[in-house]
Amino acid sequence: MKTIKILIYEPSEIIFTGIKNVLKQIWGKNIEIYELSDYSSLTPIFLKYQPDILLLDLSLIRTGEVKKSRKQHACKHIALQHSIDHSMILNEFDEVISIFDSSERIKSKISKLMNLHQKGLPEEALSIREQEVLVEIVNGLTNKEIAEKLNLSIHTVTTHRRNISTKLQIHSIAGLTIYAISNQLINVKN
Amino acid sequence: MSDLITSNYKMLFAMTRIGIPLGFGDKTIDEVCRENNIDVTTFLVIVAFLLDDVNYKTIDYKILSLKEILNYLKNSHDYFLNFRLPNIREKLYNVVNQYKNEISNELSKAIIFYFDEYVAEVRKHMEYEDKMVFPYINSLIKNAKKLDYNIDIFIRQHNHVEERMTEFKNIIIKYYPAKSTNEINSVLFDIFACEEDLFSHIDIEDKLLVPVVQTLEKKLKSK
Repeated sequence: MKTIKILIYEPSEIIFTGIKNVLKQIWGKNIEIYELSDYSSLTPIFLKYQPDILLLDLSLIRTGEVKKSRKQHACKHIALQHSIDHSMILNEFDEVISIFDSSERIKSKISKLMNLHQKGLPEEALSIREQEVLVEIVNGLTNKEIAEKLNLSIHTVTTHRRNISTKLQIHSIAGLTIYAISNQLINVKN
Repeated sequence: MSDLITSNYKMLFAMTRIGIPLGFGDKTIDEVCRENNIDVTTFLVIVAFLLDDVNYKTIDYKILSLKEILNYLKNSHDYFLNFRLPNIREKLYNVVNQYKNEISNELSKAIIFYFDEYVAEVRKHMEYEDKMVFPYINSLIKNAKKLDYNIDIFIRQHNHVEERMTEFKNIIIKYYPAKSTNEINSVLFDIFACEEDLFSHIDIEDKLLVPVVQTLEKKLKSK
Protein backbone atom coordinates (compact mmCIF):
# COMPACT_ATOMS: atom_id res chain seq x y z
CA MET A 1 0.00 0.00 0.00
CA LYS A 2 1.13 3.49 -0.82
CA THR A 3 2.01 5.71 2.12
CA ILE A 4 -0.31 8.63 2.60
CA LYS A 5 1.40 11.90 3.44
CA ILE A 6 -0.74 14.39 5.25
CA LEU A 7 0.07 17.90 6.39
CA ILE A 8 -2.15 19.18 9.18
CA TYR A 9 -2.78 22.79 10.11
CA GLU A 10 -4.50 22.66 13.47
CA PRO A 11 -3.25 25.00 16.21
CA SER A 12 -5.12 23.24 19.02
CA GLU A 13 -2.71 20.73 20.47
CA ILE A 14 -5.53 18.59 21.87
CA ILE A 15 -7.29 18.30 18.53
CA PHE A 16 -4.05 17.83 16.58
CA THR A 17 -2.94 15.00 18.88
CA GLY A 18 -6.40 13.46 18.69
CA ILE A 19 -6.58 13.46 14.92
CA LYS A 20 -3.01 12.21 14.70
CA ASN A 21 -3.83 9.25 16.93
CA VAL A 22 -6.97 8.42 14.99
CA LEU A 23 -5.08 8.46 11.69
CA LYS A 24 -2.27 6.35 13.16
CA GLN A 25 -4.82 3.85 14.42
CA ILE A 26 -6.30 3.53 10.96
CA TRP A 27 -3.16 3.43 8.82
CA GLY A 28 -0.32 2.68 11.17
CA LYS A 29 2.95 2.89 9.29
CA ASN A 30 1.23 3.72 6.05
CA ILE A 31 0.61 7.31 7.00
CA GLU A 32 3.10 10.09 7.53
CA ILE A 33 1.78 13.02 9.50
CA TYR A 34 3.34 16.47 9.45
CA GLU A 35 2.32 19.50 11.39
CA LEU A 36 2.10 23.00 10.01
CA SER A 37 2.42 25.40 12.91
CA ASP A 38 2.34 28.64 10.94
CA TYR A 39 0.12 29.07 7.88
CA SER A 40 2.46 31.58 6.29
CA SER A 41 5.15 28.93 5.98
CA LEU A 42 2.82 26.57 4.10
CA THR A 43 4.67 26.77 0.81
CA PRO A 44 8.18 25.85 2.01
CA ILE A 45 6.79 23.11 4.26
CA PHE A 46 4.69 21.80 1.38
CA LEU A 47 7.75 21.74 -0.83
CA LYS A 48 9.73 19.91 1.81
CA TYR A 49 7.25 17.08 2.45
CA GLN A 50 5.12 17.12 -0.71
CA PRO A 51 2.03 15.80 1.08
CA ASP A 52 -0.92 14.14 -0.69
CA ILE A 53 -3.39 15.84 1.60
CA LEU A 54 -3.63 19.18 3.35
CA LEU A 55 -5.94 19.05 6.34
CA LEU A 56 -6.82 22.58 7.38
CA ASP A 57 -8.64 23.85 10.44
CA LEU A 58 -11.71 25.37 8.83
CA SER A 59 -12.11 28.16 11.36
CA LEU A 60 -8.76 29.65 10.37
CA ILE A 61 -9.26 29.61 6.61
CA ARG A 62 -10.66 32.64 4.86
CA THR A 63 -12.74 32.65 1.68
CA GLY A 64 -10.64 32.24 -1.43
CA GLU A 65 -7.63 30.92 0.43
CA VAL A 66 -8.16 27.31 -0.57
CA LYS A 67 -8.71 28.27 -4.19
CA LYS A 68 -5.43 30.08 -4.08
CA SER A 69 -3.63 27.27 -2.30
CA ARG A 70 -4.96 24.80 -4.83
CA LYS A 71 -3.20 26.68 -7.60
CA GLN A 72 0.08 26.47 -5.78
CA HIS A 73 -0.15 23.11 -4.10
CA ALA A 74 -1.17 20.13 -6.16
CA CYS A 75 -2.81 17.94 -3.55
CA LYS A 76 -6.18 17.25 -1.96
CA HIS A 77 -7.54 19.86 0.42
CA ILE A 78 -9.65 18.70 3.35
CA ALA A 79 -11.39 20.93 5.86
CA LEU A 80 -11.32 20.01 9.52
CA GLN A 81 -14.56 21.21 10.96
CA HIS A 82 -14.99 21.90 14.67
CA SER A 83 -18.63 22.90 14.71
CA ILE A 84 -21.61 22.26 12.55
CA ASP A 85 -21.99 25.06 10.08
CA HIS A 86 -22.59 25.25 6.39
CA SER A 87 -20.18 27.88 5.36
CA MET A 88 -19.82 28.59 1.64
CA ILE A 89 -16.11 28.09 1.96
CA LEU A 90 -16.68 24.33 2.27
CA ASN A 91 -17.26 24.21 -1.48
CA GLU A 92 -13.62 25.03 -2.01
CA PHE A 93 -12.45 21.83 -0.35
CA ASP A 94 -12.33 18.30 -1.74
CA GLU A 95 -13.72 16.84 1.47
CA VAL A 96 -14.76 17.82 4.98
CA ILE A 97 -13.88 15.94 8.12
CA SER A 98 -15.74 16.87 11.27
CA ILE A 99 -14.22 16.29 14.68
CA PHE A 100 -17.39 14.32 15.42
CA ASP A 101 -16.72 11.82 12.61
CA SER A 102 -16.10 8.20 13.63
CA SER A 103 -12.75 6.74 12.66
CA GLU A 104 -14.56 4.48 10.18
CA ARG A 105 -16.00 7.52 8.49
CA ILE A 106 -12.66 9.31 8.40
CA LYS A 107 -11.09 6.21 6.91
CA SER A 108 -13.70 5.94 4.19
CA LYS A 109 -13.49 9.64 3.32
CA ILE A 110 -9.71 9.67 2.99
CA SER A 111 -9.55 6.34 1.17
CA LYS A 112 -12.11 7.51 -1.31
CA LEU A 113 -10.19 10.68 -1.89
CA MET A 114 -6.88 8.89 -2.29
CA ASN A 115 -8.30 6.41 -4.78
CA LEU A 116 -9.76 9.22 -6.78
CA HIS A 117 -6.46 10.92 -6.55
CA GLN A 118 -4.66 7.93 -7.96
CA LYS A 119 -7.29 7.41 -10.60
CA GLY A 120 -7.25 11.03 -11.63
CA LEU A 121 -3.53 11.47 -11.64
CA PRO A 122 -1.66 8.28 -12.33
CA GLU A 123 1.71 9.81 -13.07
CA GLU A 124 3.56 7.95 -15.79
CA ALA A 125 0.35 6.09 -16.47
CA LEU A 126 -0.63 7.38 -19.87
CA SER A 127 -2.10 4.64 -22.00
CA ILE A 128 -0.17 3.58 -25.09
CA ARG A 129 -2.69 5.44 -27.25
CA GLU A 130 -2.33 8.56 -25.15
CA GLN A 131 1.43 8.37 -25.46
CA GLU A 132 1.11 8.16 -29.22
CA VAL A 133 -1.19 11.17 -29.28
CA LEU A 134 1.15 13.05 -26.96
CA VAL A 135 4.09 12.45 -29.26
CA GLU A 136 2.16 13.82 -32.22
CA ILE A 137 1.06 16.88 -30.25
CA VAL A 138 4.67 17.54 -29.36
CA ASN A 139 5.63 17.08 -33.01
CA GLY A 140 3.31 19.95 -33.75
CA LEU A 141 0.45 18.15 -35.50
CA THR A 142 -3.09 19.51 -35.34
CA ASN A 143 -5.96 17.43 -34.00
CA LYS A 144 -7.09 16.73 -37.55
CA GLU A 145 -3.64 15.55 -38.63
CA ILE A 146 -3.30 13.35 -35.57
CA ALA A 147 -6.71 11.81 -36.25
CA GLU A 148 -5.70 10.97 -39.81
CA LYS A 149 -2.30 9.62 -38.90
CA LEU A 150 -3.52 7.38 -36.08
CA ASN A 151 -6.79 6.50 -37.75
CA LEU A 152 -8.97 7.98 -35.04
CA SER A 153 -11.88 10.37 -35.09
CA ILE A 154 -11.15 13.98 -34.23
CA HIS A 155 -13.49 13.61 -31.31
CA THR A 156 -11.38 10.75 -29.89
CA VAL A 157 -8.20 12.77 -30.32
CA THR A 158 -9.74 15.67 -28.41
CA THR A 159 -10.72 13.29 -25.61
CA HIS A 160 -7.20 11.83 -25.46
CA ARG A 161 -5.78 15.32 -25.38
CA ARG A 162 -8.00 16.31 -22.53
CA ASN A 163 -7.13 13.17 -20.58
CA ILE A 164 -3.43 13.71 -21.12
CA SER A 165 -3.66 17.24 -19.76
CA THR A 166 -5.70 16.14 -16.75
CA LYS A 167 -3.41 13.26 -15.94
CA LEU A 168 -0.21 15.22 -16.24
CA GLN A 169 -1.63 18.60 -15.20
CA ILE A 170 0.18 20.14 -18.11
CA HIS A 171 -1.77 22.24 -20.57
CA SER A 172 0.75 23.85 -22.86
CA ILE A 173 2.59 22.22 -25.73
CA ALA A 174 5.91 23.50 -24.44
CA GLY A 175 5.17 21.76 -21.14
CA LEU A 176 4.18 18.51 -22.82
CA THR A 177 7.45 18.63 -24.74
CA ILE A 178 9.39 18.67 -21.49
CA TYR A 179 7.39 15.68 -20.27
CA ALA A 180 7.89 13.76 -23.51
CA ILE A 181 11.64 14.30 -23.50
CA SER A 182 12.17 13.50 -19.86
CA ASN A 183 10.14 10.30 -20.21
CA GLN A 184 11.93 9.46 -23.42
CA LEU A 185 8.72 9.21 -25.39
CA ILE A 186 10.27 11.02 -28.29
CA ASN A 187 13.49 10.32 -30.00
CA VAL A 188 15.76 13.24 -29.35
CA LYS A 189 17.11 13.27 -32.87
CA ASN A 190 13.69 14.02 -34.33
CA MET B 1 8.11 51.71 9.95
CA SER B 2 11.12 49.57 10.71
CA ASP B 3 8.86 47.23 12.73
CA LEU B 4 6.74 46.69 9.66
CA ILE B 5 9.70 45.75 7.54
CA THR B 6 11.53 43.59 10.01
CA SER B 7 8.38 41.61 10.68
CA ASN B 8 7.72 41.16 6.99
CA TYR B 9 10.56 40.93 4.54
CA LYS B 10 8.11 41.28 1.63
CA MET B 11 7.71 44.89 2.66
CA LEU B 12 11.05 45.61 1.09
CA PHE B 13 9.32 45.12 -2.27
CA ALA B 14 6.70 47.67 -1.34
CA MET B 15 9.35 50.18 -0.31
CA THR B 16 11.32 49.95 -3.53
CA ARG B 17 8.26 49.98 -5.74
CA ILE B 18 6.58 52.86 -3.98
CA GLY B 19 9.81 54.80 -3.83
CA ILE B 20 10.70 55.01 -0.18
CA PRO B 21 14.44 54.84 0.54
CA LEU B 22 15.75 52.89 3.50
CA GLY B 23 17.54 54.57 6.39
CA PHE B 24 14.53 56.12 8.06
CA GLY B 25 15.62 55.42 11.63
CA ASP B 26 12.81 55.25 14.14
CA LYS B 27 10.28 57.32 12.25
CA THR B 28 6.68 56.20 12.01
CA ILE B 29 5.04 55.06 8.78
CA ASP B 30 3.13 58.32 8.65
CA GLU B 31 6.28 60.41 8.99
CA VAL B 32 8.23 58.45 6.41
CA CYS B 33 5.39 58.68 3.90
CA ARG B 34 4.96 62.40 4.44
CA GLU B 35 8.67 63.04 3.96
CA ASN B 36 8.60 61.17 0.68
CA ASN B 37 5.34 62.72 -0.48
CA ILE B 38 3.56 59.39 -0.47
CA ASP B 39 -0.10 59.07 0.39
CA VAL B 40 -0.08 57.05 3.59
CA THR B 41 -3.53 55.45 3.17
CA THR B 42 -2.65 54.15 -0.27
CA PHE B 43 0.65 52.85 1.05
CA LEU B 44 -1.13 50.93 3.80
CA VAL B 45 -3.67 49.44 1.41
CA ILE B 46 -0.90 48.20 -0.87
CA VAL B 47 0.87 46.74 2.14
CA ALA B 48 -2.33 44.91 3.10
CA PHE B 49 -2.51 43.41 -0.39
CA LEU B 50 1.08 42.25 -0.21
CA LEU B 51 0.46 40.62 3.14
CA ASP B 52 -2.74 39.12 1.81
CA ASP B 53 -4.61 40.70 4.65
CA VAL B 54 -7.15 42.93 2.96
CA ASN B 55 -10.43 43.98 4.46
CA TYR B 56 -12.36 45.08 1.39
CA LYS B 57 -15.17 46.62 3.38
CA THR B 58 -12.91 49.25 4.86
CA ILE B 59 -11.31 50.43 1.63
CA ASP B 60 -12.54 53.80 0.47
CA TYR B 61 -11.65 53.84 -3.22
CA LYS B 62 -12.46 57.53 -3.51
CA ILE B 63 -9.59 58.70 -1.35
CA LEU B 64 -6.80 56.47 -2.68
CA SER B 65 -4.04 57.91 -4.77
CA LEU B 66 -4.00 56.48 -8.29
CA LYS B 67 -0.61 58.02 -8.85
CA GLU B 68 0.89 55.86 -6.10
CA ILE B 69 -0.83 52.69 -7.30
CA LEU B 70 0.32 53.26 -10.87
CA ASN B 71 3.82 53.95 -9.74
CA TYR B 72 3.84 50.79 -7.70
CA LEU B 73 2.56 48.67 -10.60
CA LYS B 74 4.98 50.19 -13.10
CA ASN B 75 7.89 49.54 -10.82
CA SER B 76 6.78 45.97 -10.22
CA HIS B 77 6.58 45.38 -13.95
CA ASP B 78 10.12 46.61 -14.20
CA TYR B 79 11.12 44.36 -11.33
CA PHE B 80 9.59 41.21 -12.84
CA LEU B 81 10.76 41.79 -16.41
CA ASN B 82 14.19 43.25 -15.83
CA PHE B 83 15.24 41.67 -12.61
CA ARG B 84 13.27 38.76 -11.20
CA LEU B 85 12.55 36.69 -14.30
CA PRO B 86 16.02 37.10 -15.90
CA ASN B 87 17.49 36.18 -12.54
CA ILE B 88 15.44 32.97 -12.35
CA ARG B 89 16.33 32.17 -15.95
CA GLU B 90 20.02 32.41 -15.21
CA LYS B 91 19.78 30.10 -12.22
CA LEU B 92 17.58 27.70 -14.14
CA TYR B 93 20.01 27.70 -17.02
CA ASN B 94 22.87 26.74 -14.74
CA VAL B 95 20.85 24.00 -13.10
CA VAL B 96 19.59 22.33 -16.26
CA ASN B 97 22.94 22.48 -17.96
CA GLN B 98 24.75 20.63 -15.20
CA TYR B 99 24.41 17.22 -16.79
CA LYS B 100 25.93 16.48 -20.11
CA ASN B 101 24.34 13.91 -22.32
CA GLU B 102 22.08 13.94 -25.33
CA ILE B 103 18.78 13.62 -23.54
CA SER B 104 19.55 16.16 -20.89
CA ASN B 105 20.75 18.57 -23.57
CA GLU B 106 17.40 18.38 -25.30
CA LEU B 107 15.60 18.52 -22.01
CA SER B 108 17.41 21.65 -20.93
CA LYS B 109 16.60 23.26 -24.26
CA ALA B 110 12.93 22.36 -23.82
CA ILE B 111 12.89 23.75 -20.30
CA ILE B 112 14.57 26.99 -21.24
CA PHE B 113 12.25 27.25 -24.24
CA TYR B 114 9.26 26.82 -21.97
CA PHE B 115 10.52 29.47 -19.60
CA ASP B 116 11.28 31.92 -22.40
CA GLU B 117 7.85 31.42 -23.89
CA TYR B 118 6.35 32.10 -20.51
CA VAL B 119 8.40 35.24 -19.99
CA ALA B 120 7.36 36.46 -23.44
CA GLU B 121 3.75 36.05 -22.38
CA VAL B 122 4.31 37.97 -19.16
CA ARG B 123 6.13 40.68 -21.10
CA LYS B 124 3.25 41.02 -23.55
CA HIS B 125 0.80 41.23 -20.69
CA MET B 126 2.78 43.86 -18.84
CA GLU B 127 3.70 45.90 -21.88
CA TYR B 128 0.06 46.08 -22.88
CA GLU B 129 -0.64 47.59 -19.49
CA ASP B 130 2.29 49.96 -19.72
CA LYS B 131 1.33 51.15 -23.19
CA MET B 132 -2.47 51.09 -23.13
CA VAL B 133 -3.87 50.95 -19.66
CA PHE B 134 -1.51 53.16 -17.68
CA PRO B 135 -1.48 56.07 -20.17
CA TYR B 136 -5.27 55.95 -20.20
CA ILE B 137 -5.34 56.15 -16.43
CA ASN B 138 -2.82 58.98 -16.47
CA SER B 139 -5.05 60.97 -18.76
CA LEU B 140 -7.95 60.31 -16.41
CA ILE B 141 -5.89 61.67 -13.55
CA LYS B 142 -5.25 64.82 -15.55
CA ASN B 143 -8.98 65.04 -16.00
CA ALA B 144 -8.79 64.69 -19.74
CA LYS B 145 -11.31 62.11 -20.70
CA LYS B 146 -10.21 59.75 -23.42
CA LEU B 147 -13.10 58.09 -25.15
CA ASP B 148 -11.35 55.30 -26.98
CA TYR B 149 -10.69 53.20 -23.91
CA ASN B 150 -12.24 52.34 -20.62
CA ILE B 151 -11.32 50.08 -17.77
CA ASP B 152 -13.97 47.50 -18.71
CA ILE B 153 -11.88 46.60 -21.75
CA PHE B 154 -9.02 45.91 -19.40
CA ILE B 155 -11.18 43.74 -17.14
CA ARG B 156 -12.26 41.64 -20.09
CA GLN B 157 -8.74 41.17 -21.38
CA HIS B 158 -6.91 40.70 -18.17
CA ASN B 159 -5.57 37.18 -18.33
CA HIS B 160 -3.80 35.45 -15.57
CA VAL B 161 -0.14 35.02 -16.28
CA GLU B 162 0.66 33.39 -12.98
CA GLU B 163 -1.13 30.17 -13.90
CA ARG B 164 1.58 29.03 -16.24
CA MET B 165 4.14 29.66 -13.56
CA THR B 166 2.25 27.15 -11.42
CA GLU B 167 2.27 24.64 -14.28
CA PHE B 168 5.98 25.12 -14.78
CA LYS B 169 6.67 24.49 -11.12
CA ASN B 170 4.65 21.26 -11.28
CA ILE B 171 6.57 20.10 -14.31
CA ILE B 172 9.91 20.65 -12.65
CA ILE B 173 8.86 19.00 -9.40
CA LYS B 174 7.10 16.04 -10.94
CA TYR B 175 8.80 15.32 -14.20
CA TYR B 176 12.30 16.72 -14.22
CA PRO B 177 14.54 13.75 -13.55
CA ALA B 178 17.25 15.23 -11.40
CA LYS B 179 18.76 14.71 -8.04
CA SER B 180 17.29 17.00 -5.45
CA THR B 181 20.09 19.47 -5.04
CA ASN B 182 20.51 22.77 -3.28
CA GLU B 183 20.72 24.49 -6.65
CA ILE B 184 17.42 23.14 -7.90
CA ASN B 185 15.75 23.91 -4.58
CA SER B 186 17.01 27.43 -4.78
CA VAL B 187 15.42 27.87 -8.21
CA LEU B 188 12.20 26.34 -6.96
CA PHE B 189 12.11 28.66 -3.97
CA ASP B 190 12.59 31.59 -6.32
CA ILE B 191 9.78 30.34 -8.52
CA PHE B 192 7.49 29.90 -5.51
CA ALA B 193 8.26 33.39 -4.28
CA CYS B 194 7.86 34.89 -7.73
CA GLU B 195 4.55 33.10 -8.22
CA GLU B 196 3.26 34.44 -4.93
CA ASP B 197 4.47 37.89 -5.81
CA LEU B 198 2.71 37.69 -9.18
CA PHE B 199 -0.50 36.63 -7.41
CA SER B 200 -0.47 39.72 -5.25
CA HIS B 201 0.53 41.91 -8.19
CA ILE B 202 -2.49 40.73 -10.16
CA ASP B 203 -4.67 41.04 -7.10
CA ILE B 204 -3.66 44.67 -6.82
CA GLU B 205 -4.53 45.23 -10.48
CA ASP B 206 -7.90 43.47 -10.31
CA LYS B 207 -9.07 44.42 -6.87
CA LEU B 208 -7.45 47.78 -6.24
CA LEU B 209 -6.55 49.51 -9.50
CA VAL B 210 -9.78 48.57 -11.27
CA PRO B 211 -12.22 49.78 -8.59
CA VAL B 212 -10.27 53.00 -8.05
CA VAL B 213 -10.33 53.72 -11.77
CA GLN B 214 -14.01 52.83 -11.99
CA THR B 215 -14.75 55.27 -9.20
CA LEU B 216 -12.87 58.00 -11.04
CA GLU B 217 -14.56 57.16 -14.36
CA LYS B 218 -17.95 57.51 -12.71
CA LYS B 219 -17.01 60.80 -11.14
CA LEU B 220 -15.80 62.22 -14.46
CA LYS B 221 -18.90 61.00 -16.25
CA SER B 222 -21.22 62.73 -13.84
CA LYS B 223 -19.49 66.07 -14.36
